[in-house]
Amino acid sequence: MEFPAVLFPSYFGAGPPQEEGGPAPVAGWGEHGQVLEGNRGRRQAQPAFVPRRGTTGERWEAADAAAVPVLLPSEGCWIPSPAPQDILFRSGLCRNLRVGKCGATLDFAKQLGHFFVDHPEDAFGSLGHLLHKNFYLGNSKLKVTASRNSTIRMTALVEDLDRLEARRGCPRQHLASRLRWFSHLCRDWLFEVPLGLLADYLHEELMQQWSSLLFDDSLTGGALAWLPREDEEAPVGCLVHPGGQAMNHLYFQDMVLEELPRARGSPAQFELSGHVRQVAAARVDGQDFVGVRSDYHCGVWKVRGKTGAAPTPLQVVRTDVPASCLTVSPHLPGELSVCTEGGTIYLWNVETGLQQLRHDPQTMFFRDHSPWRWSDFTAHPRVLSCADRTGLQCLDARAPKKCHFDLFKVGEEAGCQQGERVVLPMYLGRAHPSQYLVTTQFSVYVLDERLPLMPVLKWAHMMKAPPLFAHLMPGKPGRSHKVLLGASRTQELLLLQYLGGSQSACQLAGTPQKLHSITGCLQHLPTQLPHRHHLLQQRLAAPAAGLAATLQEDRLHKSMLIFQLSEAGDVFCQRLTHNAVQTPAPSSRDETITAPGSSPLFEAPASSPQSLGAAALRYRRWLRALFRACREPPRYTWPPSLSQRRLFTRRDLEGPAGLSSLQQQMRQRLRQAMQEGGRIQHWEPLALQSPPLPQTLEPAGGPDPLSARLTAAWAGDWEQWWEERTSFSVAQRQRALRERRRRQKRAQGHRSLSASFTSSLTYQSELSELSDTGPPVLSPRRPPILSQEGTPPASSPPVRSPPASPAPDEALLSSQSLRCRGIPKERRKTLRDYLSVWAEGPPEPLEPPGSQASQLCIPSSQSQLSSASQPRRKRPRMGF
Amino acid sequence: SSNEHTLNFKKSKEACLSYIQDALLQKQWKRAAEFLTCYAESLEKDYSREHISPSEMIWRIGTEILWHRSQGSMKEFSCFMEQMKSLGVKRYLKVCLEHVFHLLCNGQIDEAYQNLSLAESWRFGEQTAIQDKEMKLIQAYRGLLDYYSWSKQKNILLEHGEDGFSDLAVEQEMHGYFRKAAMNLKEIIKIPGVWDIFVKCYVDLLEFYGDHNEARQVLNEYAYNSKFPANPNAHVYLYQFLKRQGEPKKSLISALKILHDIVPSHELMIDFNTMLQKSKKRKNRRLGLEVIFAALDYAGWKENAKAWSCLARQVKQIVISEKHLDWIKQEWNSRKDWWPAFHFSRYLAKRNWRENQSLSYEKALVAGILMGKDCKYFKYVSHQGCKAQLKQFRMLKKFVNKHSPVYLRIAG
Repeated sequence: MEFPAVLFPSYFGAGPPQEEGGPAPVAGWGEHGQVLEGNRGRRQAQPAFVPRRGTTGERWEAADAAAVPVLLPSEGCWIPSPAPQDILFRSGLCRNLRVGKCGATLDFAKQLGHFFVDHPEDAFGSLGHLLHKNFYLGNSKLKVTASRNSTIRMTALVEDLDRLEARRGCPRQHLASRLRWFSHLCRDWLFEVPLGLLADYLHEELMQQWSSLLFDDSLTGGALAWLPREDEEAPVGCLVHPGGQAMNHLYFQDMVLEELPRARGSPAQFELSGHVRQVAAARVDGQDFVGVRSDYHCGVWKVRGKTGAAPTPLQVVRTDVPASCLTVSPHLPGELSVCTEGGTIYLWNVETGLQQLRHDPQTMFFRDHSPWRWSDFTAHPRVLSCADRTGLQCLDARAPKKCHFDLFKVGEEAGCQQGERVVLPMYLGRAHPSQYLVTTQFSVYVLDERLPLMPVLKWAHMMKAPPLFAHLMPGKPGRSHKVLLGASRTQELLLLQYLGGSQSACQLAGTPQKLHSITGCLQHLPTQLPHRHHLLQQRLAAPAAGLAATLQEDRLHKSMLIFQLSEAGDVFCQRLTHNAVQTPAPSSRDETITAPGSSPLFEAPASSPQSLGAAALRYRRWLRALFRACREPPRYTWPPSLSQRRLFTRRDLEGPAGLSSLQQQMRQRLRQAMQEGGRIQHWEPLALQSPPLPQTLEPAGGPDPLSARLTAAWAGDWEQWWEERTSFSVAQRQRALRERRRRQKRAQGHRSLSASFTSSLTYQSELSELSDTGPPVLSPRRPPILSQEGTPPASSPPVRSPPASPAPDEALLSSQSLRCRGIPKERRKTLRDYLSVWAEGPPEPLEPPGSQASQLCIPSSQSQLSSASQPRRKRPRMGF
Repeated sequence: SSNEHTLNFKKSKEACLSYIQDALLQKQWKRAAEFLTCYAESLEKDYSREHISPSEMIWRIGTEILWHRSQGSMKEFSCFMEQMKSLGVKRYLKVCLEHVFHLLCNGQIDEAYQNLSLAESWRFGEQTAIQDKEMKLIQAYRGLLDYYSWSKQKNILLEHGEDGFSDLAVEQEMHGYFRKAAMNLKEIIKIPGVWDIFVKCYVDLLEFYGDHNEARQVLNEYAYNSKFPANPNAHVYLYQFLKRQGEPKKSLISALKILHDIVPSHELMIDFNTMLQKSKKRKNRRLGLEVIFAALDYAGWKENAKAWSCLARQVKQIVISEKHLDWIKQEWNSRKDWWPAFHFSRYLAKRNWRENQSLSYEKALVAGILMGKDCKYFKYVSHQGCKAQLKQFRMLKKFVNKHSPVYLRIAG
């Protein structure tokens, strides 16, 4: 372990950082930093100088135009994590607020509303039961009975609420006095959970979600590992990665490294009880130890260094506070270090258990709010480093309280900027036993334990997002060590090279190089249908979740394989080849700019046909599997409609007995408008009304064949449509015709009801959506109620089969099912009445999208419409 | 609308910058250069209050491109640098310094020297703290170049001296260089920092002129001033100086003792151990054992045959004399829970045997004494050694068997 005889000159200060800074876009370019006299022969007259940055490095070039998928996408669709628009408050009224200093405004009310709707039992359960007798939700007047004094009629209140909902976004919304009165009266006691407490928790959760959207440090370290295998002739290895919809499966996949890495056999699979945040691996004595961290559990596996060796789970520990770090010792078998967000650091030995080294909820060098902690091993197997956002310290596990020294401090010592924070520390033991890497959001530092506090190398990395992942590929003596830095949100990937550490001082070699990001391949893919393009875009732009790499050397050429994991569980790979010939003048390859749209991946290649062809093939297969896995069930956008239950009470429907002529007239117009699919622009008498709107494009009888065919093609099951169409037998057609005629006849009598059909349907679809079974599956050919609750069409993936009930409409009508949907007792009968009318005869054919109801201009509730027409994102915890 | 114009201008400026950045990171120098010519416009309307001014950006980007594109045309580079110097007052010294570095790395020492002299005479208003530091560095590098000139003259003079005649003019010139170099180097090494190269040169100058006290003082200050970083080289220089001066063992040991305290894994620890083992004092031999044990704790020493032979020799000595077995016991106590897995696993036995037999011999000896003859490492290596009919290993087996009671005393 030699120490460089001469180090590069530099100043050494103390105290907090002086330099004011911020993200500087080009701060890393054009600087040599310092120079030092290099090795010169005795006879040489002139001293030769070497710069700290700017020596030539190795030349690595990307073999393909984009990263290529390594594994096929997993079954089941990926659920994106919440986006800013899910959490932030978006409203015209609030926009002014947001521009101000307060930053993000969280949509607190909406989330609380979600909670009440999603978990009514939790929110109001017991008081609801208690008050059951005292609230009357029927329409009829309360009779004077014994219970009259203690019962109140709630219908008006509910109507007020609905109206309020409908008027959301209306600038002139006034709270009904009745509502205000009710909320004033009930605010303190109606909720199961004390509202203040609930609000506190919800707010806390929202803040946490928001901050994790801004910067999610739980992924630090990355959840991808490559375990090389040495015992075979063909280069093989094992890729350890998480997968599954909740990223709670751990896979050990054997890979063969050919021109493109190829999976061999099926992976060993483990189901874990949490989202896998980090996978760390180290090789000790020819065995790989793989540590896996989820929020509350850490586990360790052992994999023998031979191919085909099955991974053995060794031990699991559970933590009360989320763990933020897990690293595996490169020195001793079965030894790991664990940090929790509570500020505790443990040395974890599989044989002897956990040893607490430190417990300190405060940060080390100055106060910082982040609970993130990290720990890693050092050159001495009993000395561990521990880190928080303010710096690094080294602790001796044998006497952790007494023996420690500062390794890195965010301060003037390392020439940091104000506001700079440690993002990821990493032990570089495989390059040099006493070297350490520290990344911050601005710079990357290489430290030497033997010269603490003073970085031996510093470079402003200029990445847009802080580097959360790093990977080291040690170089052989005399060659540069390669460090890969990866960011999560932006998927940036940077390759750095550095030299020295033992005989000569550390130098940054070559220029840093940007590698392909996963999302960069989008421009090379063949043109997709818009909705698929959107799906692909979303999938490929998922934040990165891990990084692994391996150097592959045979006699003729060296290459580097870089694996990148995305949060969607996709593993992409790119190959860099080493260009041994040092060409000072740039080759033509440098200057070729891949314009968007040009697709070298899919073009017939000239240089190496196999590889490019293989990449294209790989892509095709991946795309096909992705679309198969993520095929959205044919969903037809339903005409936005709203519930009319409150508009037509049963009494209204019974007959227009005691109505005034104006009312009758209005009713008539309403019906007429609904029937025609037109709309009523003004509620004034007919004379003042503007001429009627042109007819809607589509006839009322059902979609014409062309549009049906286009719709089918758009949804991707055109073939099925064609089959159905051709196999449509004559008899069936006749039957259908008869059916229609009968229906038309019947429709005369049920006109008013047919109008309310869509309403109850929408209501149902809302309900089914709320009960987390995924978006409703509707097919226009079936009676709507059946298709609602029955088995989904065969084309939809089996994952999301809603519970099938034998007699759907019966199940729908049973009072239990009605109750569990939150339909008040008094209304159940009304609903049953409606539906029983429907059960008698086959319902009217459904109106094609965008007809009738959308044209209605009854004060419509925008929020309801949007929730019915587009699927809501899946809500994470606490009702959002 | 002027506000809007500013905003648009800012936006396109940022876009341009991101294109440049992208091109640089993909080594597309020509493309970057083309964008840079557009970016130069940003100098005209510099509304920014950013951390890095547009002029600095242009300097940085331009330099980077020219490093890779100019194909060694220093003239072009210098021309660009001169323009950049005139662009920003705040960064003048920094640009000068970087220009000098580039000249030095390309072997143009004389031009570098000229540039340094020019930069040194630059004055503009009051200097900021950073400019002050940069100025000090400029002076120091000039001192360094003066030192090289001095050293060149010295070599000429020495060669001539061998021939038997001395050149007065050369000698005077040499003394002139000495004065200039010493003055500048002396200044910078007073400020806390890592000044290895400057300290070395300054001490060399002082030693040549026989000013040993000053040299010693400089080195002591460099090593022991608490404001300076804990630089192992400072201690190494002091130790080397003391050795050159023929100082007594005692002071050498105390210098190395401090180095041992701050960097137990330093390569000089082998010398230190050898020195201590030879010592007659018990305390020193005890320290020697501690030093070598501590060095072998580190991963970097794991396969250092020299260190293992040092340990094996000392352990053997102690075992044979049967005195001070408690020393071994004490050292072993804090290591017995992890050294076996760290140093003496069966896997390592196989690998060491395959890769370095002499290393495995030394390690097996230590393992046999510390862990008894049943330890995996010793068993494997001695078995293999005997199988290969190596006399050395047979002796080893015999030795360990003979001294097996020692193991019991250490373990007990």
